[in-house]
Amino acid sequence: MPATGEGNGKPGLTRREFVWTMGAAAAAYGLQDLPDENGIFWSPEPKVELGWAPGLEEFRTSTCLICPSRCGIRGRLVDGRLVRVVGNQLHPLSRGGVCPRGIAGLQMVYHPERISGPMVAEGARGGGNWRGVSRDEALTLLTERLRASRTVAGPESLALVAGYCAGSMQALWHQFLRSYGSPNYVADDYADGTDCVMGLMHGIRRRPAYDLEQASLVLSFGAPLFESWWSPLQAYVAFGGSDEDGGQRPRFIQVDARFSRTAARTQEWVGVKPGTHSVLALGIAYVLIRNDLHDADFLSRHVAGFEDAVDGAGATTEGYRSLVLRNYRTEEVSAVTGVPVERITALARAFGSSPAPVAVCGADVTQAPNGLQAGMAVHSLNLLLGRVNRPGGVIFGKDPPLAPLASPVLDDAARAGLTSQPVAGPGPAFGTGDVASRFARAVAAGDGRVENLLLYYADPLASSVHPEAWRAALARIPFVVSFSPYLDETTRHADLVLPDLVSFERWQDAPSPASYPYPVWGVAQPLVEPQVDGIATGDAVLAVASRLGGSVAQSLAYPSFEELLKERAKGLFEIRRGMLFASEFEGRHHRQMEERGWWLREHDEFEEFWEDLVDRGGWTDLFHDFTDPAGIAQTPDGLIDLMPEELTRALVANGLDRTPYIGLTGDDAVPPADFPLRLMPYRVSTLASGTLSLERWLAEVPGLFPETLWYPWVEVHPDTVRTLGLEEDTMVWISSSRGRMRARLKVFPGTAPGNVCVPYRLQHPDGELANPLQLLDGPTDPLTGLAPWFTTFVRLDQVGAVD
Amino acid sequence: MVIDLDRCTGCAACEVACKSENNLATVSPEQAEMGRAMSWMKVISEVEGEFPNSTLQFFPRPCMHCDNPPCVKVCPVSATYLGEDGIVGQIYARCIGCRYCANACPYTVKYFNWYGPEWSESELQHLNPDVSVRPKGVIEKCTFCHHRLQKAKEDARAEGRELREEDFQPACAEICPTRAIIFGDLDDPTHRVATLKDDPRSMRLMEELGTEPKVYYLRSRA
Ligand code: SF4
Ligand code: SF4
Repeated sequence: MPATGEGNGKPGLTRREFVWTMGAAAAAYGLQDLPDENGIFWSPEPKVELGWAPGLEEFRTSTCLICPSRCGIRGRLVDGRLVRVVGNQLHPLSRGGVCPRGIAGLQMVYHPERISGPMVAEGARGGGNWRGVSRDEALTLLTERLRASRTVAGPESLALVAGYCAGSMQALWHQFLRSYGSPNYVADDYADGTDCVMGLMHGIRRRPAYDLEQASLVLSFGAPLFESWWSPLQAYVAFGGSDEDGGQRPRFIQVDARFSRTAARTQEWVGVKPGTHSVLALGIAYVLIRNDLHDADFLSRHVAGFEDAVDGAGATTEGYRSLVLRNYRTEEVSAVTGVPVERITALARAFGSSPAPVAVCGADVTQAPNGLQAGMAVHSLNLLLGRVNRPGGVIFGKDPPLAPLASPVLDDAARAGLTSQPVAGPGPAFGTGDVASRFARAVAAGDGRVENLLLYYADPLASSVHPEAWRAALARIPFVVSFSPYLDETTRHADLVLPDLVSFERWQDAPSPASYPYPVWGVAQPLVEPQVDGIATGDAVLAVASRLGGSVAQSLAYPSFEELLKERAKGLFEIRRGMLFASEFEGRHHRQMEERGWWLREHDEFEEFWEDLVDRGGWTDLFHDFTDPAGIAQTPDGLIDLMPEELTRALVANGLDRTPYIGLTGDDAVPPADFPLRLMPYRVSTLASGTLSLERWLAEVPGLFPETLWYPWVEVHPDTVRTLGLEEDTMVWISSSRGRMRARLKVFPGTAPGNVCVPYRLQHPDGELANPLQLLDGPTDPLTGLAPWFTTFVRLDQVGAVD
Repeated sequence: MVIDLDRCTGCAACEVACKSENNLATVSPEQAEMGRAMSWMKVISEVEGEFPNSTLQFFPRPCMHCDNPPCVKVCPVSATYLGEDGIVGQIYARCIGCRYCANACPYTVKYFNWYGPEWSESELQHLNPDVSVRPKGVIEKCTFCHHRLQKAKEDARAEGRELREEDFQPACAEICPTRAIIFGDLDDPTHRVATLKDDPRSMRLMEELGTEPKVYYLRSRA
């Protein structure tokens, strides 16, 4: 194995060249003896070489870190090589299931494109010349840079862009930035506004979790349950049902503007016009209220804003009931959504009469115009039926009770730095919005404070809605450090690369995703030795902190990231509830015990507990207290608010109609003449986490089109294709007012005429990026700060015809 | 094998698990265009109807391991055969690459190696040592993870007991997150598949050809 980055991370090479020229090392298993050219007509017996012996087999438990689902896995090792990833049956969420990405994770570990060690850009940054350095040199370089900048430019000169990271890695970064004194933690993850919806209505700023397994009817509004949801495995397990309780399975209904894989496989698909999910939800609410199918008792005890309110002066403010009855009559809803009247009524009746229904709100809802109110509209269905903090309903999950990190020690410099304005500037009215884009724009516009930028699981040049802002920002930042294991777009522009170890090689903790109702703390332990000379970023941060010395070192005095995790696990050991991962049967038993106030100690010593925890994969607590009123609302009056004042104020401040739930008409804009088609980006399951598709096995796995291998594609209705005079399977340019991208044209009758569906973000075999978000041209939503996904119009042109 | 189409979500975990377990080679994008990509287990999809009334059916399609396999009859060198355990086997070393069997198979589950497999030095590490890689010029196909059966049999023998249902599961059945793929001995009444194959939803692909496939599908309910 080459010791350093020299040679391997050749930025000039495209993915295709890597895969197809670095391959061809057919050295093992006696293959070298096979004739190359004329071998078609004979093949010799496979040779067993002298001294061959069966390998030593071993299974090890860990957690897949590839997407937020954090499924339990077991690695099959033969002589220390990882040859297979299977599921961990004991994991409460994934129950032995794994998705294709988890399985193909092997190809991430052994990928020839991995950066082989720390490296420094030589000559002009982005020029593609790298010099390999040792880990120690790299850490010293970073430390010295940070030390100097802290004194000269101030600690606010440091910024971190972090992709999705939950648990202790996130805690570690926060602690590092705080003790260093930087307010610039720039999250580049999956902000979808649902936490703001919950914050407004329930006073709980947390993404809602859904108890799918115990639901009888799952009515999903654009949530890509079987694709790129928080946890596809959670949805699969619920969909598969239990074999034990007589094969009871929830019924799934999918409201989707696109014939997605989820829509195709749930029991029923309701096709709506883009951006009108929430209108359908309120149409359903109308039927529920009209037919007295709502839970009047729950509404009167727990919900404010349902009935009209009369203030002291005798003025009436309309409540939710009046607003819905007046504005969302079935015929009107049908006209807006395109769903027939009878279908709306039937849906409402099915939802209202099911014993344990739940409405799930997907990002397609909150990424529409008026996304926040749209999300509230969908969630209001759960309130109408009292489906909050109930088995099979919406539940506010809890974090695992880990021991917190030691409180950060702040010196004068840190205190001063933390009072400075974050570079990204103030956020939108609710939530954080797209912090990363705001950050990039501020830097591009001349905020010169940032001297050092760290990139952790973030590749904004490839993934952002505003890559041009990022290009400009990067040009202005003197020192860029990437922790990426692969030479992705943004990493190519780094000064220093400290490649992280990949999933299956490093220690990490893995709390359950936002969508799962029970606290889970999975542990990822390394399955294999690192295949390159990388360094786990957790350890790199600790090492830099210790070298920086002073208060930063005091705040992060852990010998290794593994030790940090172990320290935090003491919180679980001491909490006297929950259990280590166990079979379904044992889990049920445990839950019943806890319901009765019992708890059985399994371990007397922490060391034993830790060993067992790592061996079984993690800790969970399947007991949820459904009687706790704090699980329903944490507002000052303890009521869920259907008409939050705070929202009304924000609406007024932004010059919008002050009444919630009004103006949810979808986007009825007429396409401009030169851009006649509506763009509908979506995330494909094999790429949901937004990382590059590096695994060859995944390039062969279909979307809805088995014949679509390798190439990014665009789905178009046959009539549209005919009208435009285009040809199936040819390359087309998709252009909006902002830019263009190439994709292969696929005729698909499941796409509505006039729409084009484009998977977010694949890569052509030659490495060319295909990111439809770079085409979005709609204005950012003032309340959520998110870019609307479905308001952009595009044009298709045959590649070649227009170049 | 019984595949419950009502549970299949088309996630393709089975497909990728098979590729990993059986060291399937990947062909280049151009070769894939020509239909030369190999997938012993392949999730086939059939879309019907237009927006908003489209429906779709996924068919995870392995080798059917026919009791009356047309491919076996046409092989001039007996490289493909019906084993005693009911599994249709493929002897790579005997295969002369004439591709008669691939053409005879009505389910199109036999794949020809137009090129030798290409693995980079690092990727060789993740190959499953229990399964040989196939050279250029031979036919390959799903074996129901036969190497696992052999191992399970040996283990059972070593422990002096009969083979149990859970002892032998192919990679696809093992990984399926919704447990849509159920595997066992169709002739053993204690195995779940023996009951499920007589389910009213049960059917086999192209039964009329008389191939007697050993893969049963349970039709979707919805
Ligand atoms: S769903 Fe996510 S965490 Fe689970 S196996 Fe797939 S990639 Fe890994
Ligand atoms: S793994 Fe199961 S659910 Fe997924 S495609 Fe295969 S059979 Fe269907």
